[in-house]
Amino acid sequence: MIRFLNQFGKYFLLLGKVFSKPEKTIIYYKQTMSEMVYLGFNSVGIITIISFFMGAVITLQTAYNTENPIYPTYLIGLGCRDSIILEFSSTITALILAGKVGSNIASEIGTMRITEQIDALEMMGINSATYLILPKIIATLIFNPLLTLISIIVGIVGGGIAGTLTGVITPEDFIYGIQYAFIPYYITYSMIKTLFFAFIITTVSSFQGYYVNGGSLEVGRASTRAVVYSSVLILLFNVILTQLLLS
Amino acid sequence: MIKAQNIDLSFNGKKVLDNVSVTFEPGKTNLIIGRSGSGKTVLLKSIVGLHNIESGEIWFEDILFNKLDFAGKTEIRKKMGMLFQGSALFDSLTTEQNVRFPLDMFTGMSLEEKTERVNFCLNRVNITNSNKLYPAELSGGMKKRVAIARAIALNPKYLFCDEPNSGLDPLTAILIDELIREITEEYQMTTVVNTHDMNSVMEIGEKIVFINEGIICWEGSKNEILNSDCKILNDFVFANSLAKQLRKSHE
Ligand SMILES: Nc1ncnc2c1ncn2[C@@H]1O[C@H](COP(=O)(O)OP(=O)(O)OP(=O)(O)O)[C@@H](O)[C@H]1O
Ligand SMILES: [Mg+2]
Repeated sequence: MIRFLNQFGKYFLLLGKVFSKPEKTIIYYKQTMSEMVYLGFNSVGIITIISFFMGAVITLQTAYNTENPIYPTYLIGLGCRDSIILEFSSTITALILAGKVGSNIASEIGTMRITEQIDALEMMGINSATYLILPKIIATLIFNPLLTLISIIVGIVGGGIAGTLTGVITPEDFIYGIQYAFIPYYITYSMIKTLFFAFIITTVSSFQGYYVNGGSLEVGRASTRAVVYSSVLILLFNVILTQLLLS
Repeated sequence: MIKAQNIDLSFNGKKVLDNVSVTFEPGKTNLIIGRSGSGKTVLLKSIVGLHNIESGEIWFEDILFNKLDFAGKTEIRKKMGMLFQGSALFDSLTTEQNVRFPLDMFTGMSLEEKTERVNFCLNRVNITNSNKLYPAELSGGMKKRVAIARAIALNPKYLFCDEPNSGLDPLTAILIDELIREITEEYQMTTVVNTHDMNSVMEIGEKIVFINEGIICWEGSKNEILNSDCKILNDFVFANSLAKQLRKSHE
């Protein structure tokens, strides 16, 4: 328990160090741009594939569970749309990114720690926490909402294709369904969640990497911890945010 | 001039630096020698503030360095260059970008001026035609030399080198020693070098500090080191058979 509180305090101290004024804004701008490519753009592929199949499965599941003549079939499209927007896209995207980006960040920063690159930055009078972590936070805060949007669109398209190909719903009904009683706030809600999740992934993973002590074994452990802790926190905040935003 | 006074530091209850006092003078290559694990790296890192000392004082000229805040330390650190034991080049940057990094961060130089300075520093350490290579593509000795180039890019007043020539062949090792001594004299820097290589000691040791288990046991010059009456130092100095034979023929 004391160790937990200790870690908790250290985490917020690190955040304090991260959010101090950068030395040269132009350099941070460049760093942020390259992190966007590295942490964001490079994940578009995996997010697309997973969202497509996720959408397909959700549509088929909804269809089989509502096989009842009283329900109009366009409800399948509506159900698919709402589950994807409300829950799956933001959460699944975040969990995938926790695995991909989180371990990546932790091992990158951890390796820099054990090979004295962080010391070298500090020696030059550079605030290593700001320099290494702030661009990553900004990049993921900007890019992850985009990834979630991509996930939503691809997921719904996947659902439509799967539904039509298996014949559980006609394309017309599906399109009618996904337009029926659409609540724009759901998108806002999804974006808010995504922003929280992005912040969790980047800061928790950076924290794990930044305080690595030892050798390459420790870097490995830190990146595992980064994935586990950020995933658990994502699921926890998912519950909290759902309660706060939808009730 | 750099002065450390009565500094103490322990890790997990184990004393690594025990009441260390030492002075390093400008225009000289000051050496810290000692066996592996004796506390050389820790002493160097404590002096530059990468480890927080538990008690004692560290002076850079007339400024009490260890009591400064981050911004104050940054001001002094801009005048320091450091070569780390493992080189610590930035993996994601090329040779050229590594050396240019401090210039990018702290000067308003134009790209041409920076490139010129980078090439000057790289030439100084005999690195040519490797500007676009990444650290992973360099040999250990080349990494060390690039790291020295990076350390001197901003014309530092204080230069710290942690084992600049460990793991290098004898010729390259001498080359690096020579280089360090030359730039020290040329720019009147205060240079501190960690080493356990007796060749460097005899080559460049103008002022030598011998540290053993966190305690400074002996101080002097390379002319005095062969005739000291400190037992642990003698064991260190005459560890290899060549040196032992030399001493015998001397007596
Ligand atoms: N971060 C650390 N945490 C705990 N103990 C440490 C740490 N760094 C160094 N030590 C301990 O401090 C002592 C001195 O280590 P140091 O790295 O200064 O040795 P050294 O003289 O530089 O040796 P070498 O010549 O092998 O580089 C060692 O006993 C080491 O175990
Ligand atoms: Mg060492």
